[in-house]
Order: sequence, then structure tokens, then C-alpha cells
Amino acid sequence: MPELGRAALVVTLGLVVYALVAGAVAAHLGRRRLAQSAQNALIAAFFTTLVASGVLVAALLRHDFSFTYVARTTSEALPTAYTISAFWGGQEGSLLLWLLFLTGFGTAAVRLNRRWARDLIVWVVPVFAAVATFFAFVVVAVASPFATQAAPADGAGMTPSLQNPYMLAHPPLLYLGYVGLTVPFAFALGALLSGRLDERWLIATRRWTLFAWTALGIGQLLGAHWAYVEVGWGGYYAWDPVENAALMPWLAATAFLHSVMIQEKRGMLRVWNVLLVILAFSLSLFGTFLTRSGVVNSIHSFTQSSIGPWFLAFIGVTMAVALALVFWRLPLLRSPTKLESPVSREAAFLYNNLLLLALCLAILWGVVYPMLSEAIRGEAVVLGRSYYDFFLRAFGLPLLLLMGIGPLIAWRRASLGSLLTTFKWPTLVALATGGVLLVLGAGASVPGLVAYTFSAFVGATIVMEFARGTRARKALGATSWLGAFSSLMARNRRRYGGYVVHASIVLLAVGIAGSSAFDSVAEAKLRRGESLAVGGYTLVYKSLDERQTANATEIRATLGINRGNDDLGTLEAGKNAYTIERQVSNEVGIRSDKLTGEDLFVIAEQIDADGSVYFRVFVKPLVNLIWLAGLVFLLGSLITLWPDRIEQRRLVARAAAVGHPATR
Amino acid sequence: MIALSVAAVLAVFLLYTSIAGGGNPSISPSELQGRTGKVQLAGLVVGPVVGDAHAGGLRFRLRDIGDESSARVAVRYSGSVPDLFKVGRHIVIDGRLVNGAFVAAPGSMITKCPSKYAPKKSGDSS
Repeated sequence: MPELGRAALVVTLGLVVYALVAGAVAAHLGRRRLAQSAQNALIAAFFTTLVASGVLVAALLRHDFSFTYVARTTSEALPTAYTISAFWGGQEGSLLLWLLFLTGFGTAAVRLNRRWARDLIVWVVPVFAAVATFFAFVVVAVASPFATQAAPADGAGMTPSLQNPYMLAHPPLLYLGYVGLTVPFAFALGALLSGRLDERWLIATRRWTLFAWTALGIGQLLGAHWAYVEVGWGGYYAWDPVENAALMPWLAATAFLHSVMIQEKRGMLRVWNVLLVILAFSLSLFGTFLTRSGVVNSIHSFTQSSIGPWFLAFIGVTMAVALALVFWRLPLLRSPTKLESPVSREAAFLYNNLLLLALCLAILWGVVYPMLSEAIRGEAVVLGRSYYDFFLRAFGLPLLLLMGIGPLIAWRRASLGSLLTTFKWPTLVALATGGVLLVLGAGASVPGLVAYTFSAFVGATIVMEFARGTRARKALGATSWLGAFSSLMARNRRRYGGYVVHASIVLLAVGIAGSSAFDSVAEAKLRRGESLAVGGYTLVYKSLDERQTANATEIRATLGINRGNDDLGTLEAGKNAYTIERQVSNEVGIRSDKLTGEDLFVIAEQIDADGSVYFRVFVKPLVNLIWLAGLVFLLGSLITLWPDRIEQRRLVARAAAVGHPATR
Repeated sequence: MIALSVAAVLAVFLLYTSIAGGGNPSISPSELQGRTGKVQLAGLVVGPVVGDAHAGGLRFRLRDIGDESSARVAVRYSGSVPDLFKVGRHIVIDGRLVNGAFVAAPGSMITKCPSKYAPKKSGDSS
């Protein structure tokens, strides 16, 4: 069996190398049949990778410990679902998954766009093949998932905290996101190579970028929720390098999704868009490099291995080639239009892009700072939470405000009068909200108050847009308000789906501000019967129980909860001691208030022999809005992602007819 | 114009990070000798671990990761102790050297996850 897997990967490598060489030759010389052959090789590579993946999954399911990979990541007793998740649990398997997604996406993207963008596709194929060659080479020669050994009696098993449903979805979603960003990258390079720098590469890849971006976003939120519920330190994001590694390409892709609209509508920002795509793709590679190379101190320490230098070299080559291509094609990338006024929709989108990119680069700087300072001063300096928080406020808050302004402000040039009429109500709503909150005592945190106020502003603009659109539909003859609303959504999914996504970002901002700027914390060592008061709650430590389960001893402290005169029942917090793994894990107690979105979060930090327990208790207002934001984000993304034949046809026709964007 | 603004922003990072001093040097126990400033110490926990992290402080020693014969530094720590803390684990803490012992900032301890699915190595000292 391992021979089959190994052979399949060698064949894959051969196929993608052929697709790269033949594809490039065919594109350069204009050989149609050779180009078709290269395309077929790329598609065939997907199927051979699928065979290799099948071999690995079969080995995992059969607990075939003669596969080093299987023995290292699983054990006999591991439940089936987690046994399958071991596919992406280890390094070799996750690289294979990457290759599988890559060739799969390549096949789909090439097949879907082959008719109307043939001259582009001939160059897209070798670009895809080049990226696939790197990954195929790594799994064949550097980190093979099919290494074998004398089979041990049982495997090493999986860390208990990872035997968790979140780990079934979180890593593959991030991979879908990382790999998905290859599609716009390949098409951008295809456009540069072929010299067809009209807007078609954007139209061809818009949904792919959206898909990758959605997967990355949801994947990160799942990771945050896992950290909050399972890891149990009272937070959900720690600015850890590995977390940042996923956030950076997401921010770059967010900037790209916005600037694309400016290019489609006004033909501006062409160089910028190509650069953003290159940046997003490089960052997704850099993320993998960071995670795997062990160059930075992270809470997440994955298997550290020899693939680091290979990745660094590949990132270097990718960026050098891509930037050289951009430089070569600069004359063709000149925009036909110019920014007319700093107060216009184009300008607002440009500011949005600069802020997103600035935030992304600030994070990047923070991540690489230890390495840079080590190289320059001979001493690694690590930037702490305060650094990141500072830049999140400095760039994030203006971004939040722009989210309300950008979609409503006029194209080209906005007059003062139009600004007043457009933003009168949102501004009033925001000021009123800010005033009320100030009276209620939200002035304790200025950034928090500003975040709330800006959120109110954006929320008001979104509600206004939906109300206005629905009213217009009703006036056009929709029979009911509901009918008017749904036809509004159906007619312009991209726009209104975008508003739904914006609404989710508002929820996220409010949730983050509430839970980080206005939280309260208390800690104390309690004996049975003693109590602790925090944030309006009173907790009484009632009893301590010990239960024995199949693989762990569970110790739980029971607390009675009161708020004012209301009895809110009890909450359990404690620890699990895993017998075989000889490991202890905190099991936090969380009480969510469904009405206010507030969490009471109890950690039993230390349980003493005499039965006294050291508790740490957080009250986190509005924190549940963050998870709600995830659902709304998914909904909004699905609305925009949903196939829309009419829109696609219109875009294709426009690009084909003019070769340029329609300039109004 | 875009390039200029981005460059300006980058310059701000540089200034902020070097002047505001938001960061601590990250060093290993053997490099600690004679330093009195605030640092981030990364090392491997050496027993015995005694004391109470919530009353008087937890006491243990740290040595360099990957160098069994390196100098040991005595550490006093209070605040929350991560689940994974135990002898042989890699930890990172903030603090400063006071009278020959490393006094850690309360609650600053981070333990590294035992490698997600990494092979078990003998002694965890790689």
C-alpha cells in the first residue's frame, strides 16, 4: 500500500512538471493542442493526488502502524472521526491535503473558465502547475506521508485537547482558505504573462477569492471559539504568531475584495490589485512557513521540521518572479481613469485598502520583529499584546467608520450637500448612542466607547440602505414588503450580501469591544460556602465532586450563581486528569445570557487537597455577539457567493465587448 | 502616492516599536546572568516544583532548551498556571532578575503545547 501512495505522488510530480513545461511552451508558442495536453495533465494530477490521499485515509482507518505517519498521529483507541482528522493533523498529511485542494481548485477553475477566457487559461495552467510542483516535490522528497517503519503495537495517539469537534473543521477550513488564494494568484499571473490585463481575471476569480476568504474567516472564528471554550484562559485571541499567520492573508484578501470593485467600475488600482493578490498568496505561504519552521516562539508548537528553508526559498522565488512580471507589464497596467476627488467612493475604498494593508503590515512587522531584532541587535525582542492592541485601535476604528461611509458616498465626487443628506440620520443615531452610553458609564474605556459609537453609525447606514431599497422595490410594484425585500436581495446579491457581511463585522466589533474593554475579573481562593462577587454576580462555592470516566478523572466544583435577587442556578468548573496521557486540562464553566450576550466565565485554577479552590472569574459583556457574527458572516458570504447567471453573463459581456471596464 | 503612504505607515511602526519599547528581549536562562532589565525567558522546567502559585509563589528552575548542562536559573512565579505546566515542559515567562533569582511577572507564564501530533521524544529535550 505505501508503494501505491508513493507511486501516485511521483506520478503527480511528473504530471505537474509536464503541465508546467508543456503549458509554458504551448502558451509562449501559441500551440493549442499542447496547451490542451498540459491542461489535461493538471487535471490528471488531481486524480493521482486523490489516489494518494485515498491510500493515506485507508491506512489511517485500518490503523496500519507500519506507516510512520499513522503511528505518530493516531492510536487504536482513537475514535474514527479523529482518526480521519489525523489526515490534516500532521505535517506530511496536511501538505498532501494542500496539494489535493490545489490540484482540485486548479482543475475546477480552469474547467469553469475555459470557454470565455481561453487566452488567459493557457497561462494560468503553468502557473498552477508551478505551485503544485513545489508541493508535490515537498511531499515526494522532503516530507513524505508514506514513510514506513516496523509497525509498533500501538500508535502515539492524539493530544486530548485536540480530540475535539472543532479540530475536525478548523484546520481544513484554514487550508481551504490558504489554498483558495492560489486561484486569484494564478489568474493574476496568467493575466500578466499573457498581457491580457483587462478585468476578466478579476471576474473569473471573484467567487474563488470570496470562497477562500469566507473559509479563512470562519476557520479563524472557529479557532477562536475553540480557544475560548476549550483552552480556557478567558480569551479568544492572543496575537500569537500562528494566529496572526491566518489573520494576515485574510486582511490582504479583504482589501483585495474591495479594491476589485474599484477596478471593475472605474478601471483604477490595477497595479495595486495585482500586488494585493501576490501579497495575499505570499502571506498564506508565509503562514505555513511560520507554523512549520519554528523560527518564532509560539504557543502552538507544531512538528518542527526541515521544510522551513524550502518554503522560504519558494516564497522568495514566487515574490521575485511575480514582482518582476508586474514591473515588466507596468505600461499595460496604466489606469485609464484617475482619482477625481478625495471625497468620493473611490477614495473611501482607497482609504479602506490602505488601512487594511497598514493593519496587515503592522501585524507582519510584529511577527517578524523578533527575527529582525535578532539579526540586527543580536537579541530577539518580542512585541507584546500592547503593540498589537495599539494598531488594532489605530487602524481598526477608522476602518469601522469607513465601512459606514464607503458604500453610501457618491462615485467620483461627493458634494457637501449630498453628504449631509446621506449621513444625517446615521450621524444622529451614532451621536445619540454615544451620548446614552456615556451617561451609562461607557466612558471608562474611550476606545470601547468609540467602537460602540462607530458601530451604531454603520448599523444605521445598513438599516437605511435595506429600508430604502425595499421601499423602492415596493414602489416598483412588489406586492408585499417581504416580496419587495426578497426581490431586492435577489436582484443585487453582491451588494446586499456585502451589507450583511458588514453587519457581521459590526457585531464582531461590538463583541470585541464589549468583552475586552468592559469586562470585569475577580479571583480568590474559596473554601466551601465562601463566596465571590464580580460584575453584578455573586458566586457561592458549594461542593467539590470527583467522577471517574473511561479515560479521565473529572473533578468539578459546583458554584451557586446569583444576580441581585435572582437565583441563576449552578455552574460547574474543574479539571480533567487524563490517565493515559498523564495530562491535566482545565474545564471552564460558562454561563451565557441569551438576552444580553454576556458570559460568566469561571476557571477553577487550582484545586487544593483540603478542598479549597482558587477561582478566577470573568464577566464578559456582549462576547456572544462574536460567535453570532460568525453566523451572519457566513450568511452574507453565501448570499454573495450564490451563483448568479445573469450577473456573470453581464460581466462577461461587458468585459468581452469593451475589453475595458465601463466608465461612467 | 500609495507607495509613499505605505512607507510612511511603516516608518511609524518602526518608531513606535523602537521608542515605546513595547517589547522585551527574549533570551534563554544561560544568557540571563548579570541582566537586570525586564526580559522574556524561554526555557525548560527543572524540578522540584514547590510552593503555591496563589500564595507566596511557585518555585522551580529553568534551563536552556536543548542543552542539558546549561546554567539553571531559580524562578519565582505567581498567578495562573497553565494546564500543561510540569517538569520537562518548555515555558515562556516575563520578568527580571532580582538578587540572583528570576522574579516572574504575575500571570505571564505560557506553556508550549506538546507538539500537536509530534513524535514522542525521549526526555522531551530534543
